[in-house]
Amino acid sequence: MNIIGIAACTAGIAHTYIAKEKLITAAKNAGHNIHIETQGTIGVQDEIPDELIKSADIVILAIDVKVSGRERFADKKIIEVPTEIAIKSPNKLIKKIEEAISQ
Amino acid sequence: MSLNKILDEQVITTNINAKDKNEALLILSEKLLNAGYINDISSFLEDIYYRESLGATGIGNYIAIPHGQSDSVLRNGIAIGKFNQEIQWETLDGKGVKLIFLFSVSANHDGANEHLMLLAQLAGKLGNDDVIDRLLKANDSQEIKQIFTSC
Repeated sequence: MNIIGIAACTAGIAHTYIAKEKLITAAKNAGHNIHIETQGTIGVQDEIPDELIKSADIVILAIDVKVSGRERFADKKIIEVPTEIAIKSPNKLIKKIEEAISQ
Repeated sequence: MSLNKILDEQVITTNINAKDKNEALLILSEKLLNAGYINDISSFLEDIYYRESLGATGIGNYIAIPHGQSDSVLRNGIAIGKFNQEIQWETLDGKGVKLIFLFSVSANHDGANEHLMLLAQLAGKLGNDDVIDRLLKANDSQEIKQIFTSC
């Protein structure tokens, strides 16, 4: 499965980057491809390349604030959760994504 | 960019005794003050507690990452404290915390600042369970620094 997504937290200093790391580890352990963009105080990092948006099966938004560029996912299935969920139970979240895709 | 640039042994402390969250934050803030990262403890802590009021900074696995942007910050940096007791904290897994990463971030930053990027990089490593296991076993500040620069 090809997963793309964005992580962004309230202060944009720490939770964003922890959420990203947790999601990547959990997705890879479950055998998926994943690319997570971060939107924090330092701006956008690891912006999702267009070709990955095209090939994505699902978009995960682990966000506590409004993010920019949401229109890029107009025709995609989106799962939105707070960063807390991505940090606390990343494996469960990936399972939920798998279920959403198979439906 | 190397994490060595923001990992400052002057503000990495192990073997600390604190009875609660307030005392723990105060001890680490004093370190930041003495090392010239902040110029006022009470206004710094006020901004830290403001961020605390927005949501849990205990990310689970005995780790807390209190942070906030404050006018009292002179230099962006991070104080790391390893405590002998489990300290009560608002955490995602309901456990207390033993390792506290207190971020000092200036309120007047100019966007893509190198130190902020390094802090982000360091925060990302806290999302790695192996790193956390090693940090929880570390005995001194040098060892903590090494874990971050070798992973």
